[in-house]
Amino acid sequence: MSGRKTLYIDYSLCIGCETCEFVCRFTNDTSRIHMTRTADGVMVPLYCRHCDNPKCANACPRGALKRDRDGAVILQPMLCRGCQTKNCILACPHAAMFETDRGVMIAKCDLCAQRRQMGMGPACVEMCPCGAVMYVDRDEIPKLETEKSRLALQKVLDHLKLPGKN
Amino acid sequence: MDPINFNFLCSEPAVPNGRSVGIIGAGPSGLAATGYLSCLGYQVEVYDKLPKPGGLMLFGIPGHRIPKERIDLGVRNLERLAGVIFHTHTKICCSGPLHDEEGDHFCREILGFGDMVKKHDAIMICTGSWRSRKLGIPGENLPGVFSGLEFLFPIRAVQYCAPNVKVPEVAGKAVAVIGAGHSAVDVAHSAVHLGAAKVFHLYRRTAREAPCGAFEIEQLREMGVEWVEKATPVRILGENEVKGLEISVSGLDGIENRTLPVALVVAAIGETATPPFAKELGLENVRKGEVRWLHMTAIENVFVAGDALSGPSKIGKAVYSGLRSARSLANWLDLKAQDRLDAYEDNDLVANEAGFRRGA
Repeated sequence: MSGRKTLYIDYSLCIGCETCEFVCRFTNDTSRIHMTRTADGVMVPLYCRHCDNPKCANACPRGALKRDRDGAVILQPMLCRGCQTKNCILACPHAAMFETDRGVMIAKCDLCAQRRQMGMGPACVEMCPCGAVMYVDRDEIPKLETEKSRLALQKVLDHLKLPGKN
Repeated sequence: MDPINFNFLCSEPAVPNGRSVGIIGAGPSGLAATGYLSCLGYQVEVYDKLPKPGGLMLFGIPGHRIPKERIDLGVRNLERLAGVIFHTHTKICCSGPLHDEEGDHFCREILGFGDMVKKHDAIMICTGSWRSRKLGIPGENLPGVFSGLEFLFPIRAVQYCAPNVKVPEVAGKAVAVIGAGHSAVDVAHSAVHLGAAKVFHLYRRTAREAPCGAFEIEQLREMGVEWVEKATPVRILGENEVKGLEISVSGLDGIENRTLPVALVVAAIGETATPPFAKELGLENVRKGEVRWLHMTAIENVFVAGDALSGPSKIGKAVYSGLRSARSLANWLDLKAQDRLDAYEDNDLVANEAGFRRGA
């Protein structure tokens, strides 16, 4: 998977200002990144990791989720029928598939596919005031991680996991 | 460090379209609108009373949360790549008396609003929220009582060496911080860093309900801040200076009164919007959505966005409001140039916006 870019958010740098969410909403009508608040009050944006082995794509009965040239996992609205199983939403371990009230009723990050066509990066990355949202090569992520960011990420993952599962 | 790219909507500088827009206030919503409009080829001029563009992102929020360089570089890109003109130290006068709001002592030039309207094709007001809420208890006007903004602002602003800007003297004193938003947390942080002998942090509810989240409070406690919950300030003691703060704390055995031996009180309980000419512009109607064009005020070609319109909020909401308002402004100028404004008499733009729904 080297040479493929993805989104990386350093949760320890994020101040929960919601700029990413609103910029995404302005660019894509429906936001594909969502601010949430963990039980102990840390504000965190939930976002798609464009995983190596995307569970959402595996779970989709119609194969509507596919990887594009740059490595982004993309929802193809012409194949998605917005099925009631919502398997993709349930399968995502990062809570990054969102139900909406328009179209096929599923929204997910496509790393700003339209903007990438014109040589621009994802909008949330460009506008994050703190520099917490990064558009980086997948291989670079271990180098970017700090002790603080790992701790913050663990807090978020603990918050997201299903109750009773350790 | 990469800059914030306010021009994120276009990849290269736009062809000038011959129109100019004046933006009052260079905070998040003003800069987002600037980026949007300069991407469409507008000549944008930004007016701000402070010595540097950035607004509360730069002067209210501490640098360890938002890196200063990111804002500075973003603003420089706006100037160099998009040809935006920034007028700093400039205030557009003004509904209240000068020196009424935080940061007023920086302004060297005062421009009239009427001239602005004539000079530009359209104006956008993004003046944010710079007046602090008051506690409304006896002793509030004593020296040594600050609002959150009064306390935090000089710590950043003193770097720009304006006269009359002094960092509050905290070293060796006991400080009481009231409120549990992020600015209250920042005040407590700063007080510890400035060498306060003791910091009490008061909140009227419990840590679990605090807007900043329990995690932040836990971190403050680790720094030695004493957290007092379910506490209401009653009176600030002292005659010429603060001698203490009387509070009532509701515990299991009813309400109990306590006196904290503090020399400084910081009430970080929020700000209110400070738009110029709120009445003349009919901002109340804009807030309710009773306008015929999204974010347009009672004066045609004057638009409003950000905290100035909707009150204190998060950066994201201000950015979104600035972007939407800029889009609305550009649409309006285009239709006006074609003399087709009537075609959109009953447009539903306003009704679409969440929170501004008509009749909701």
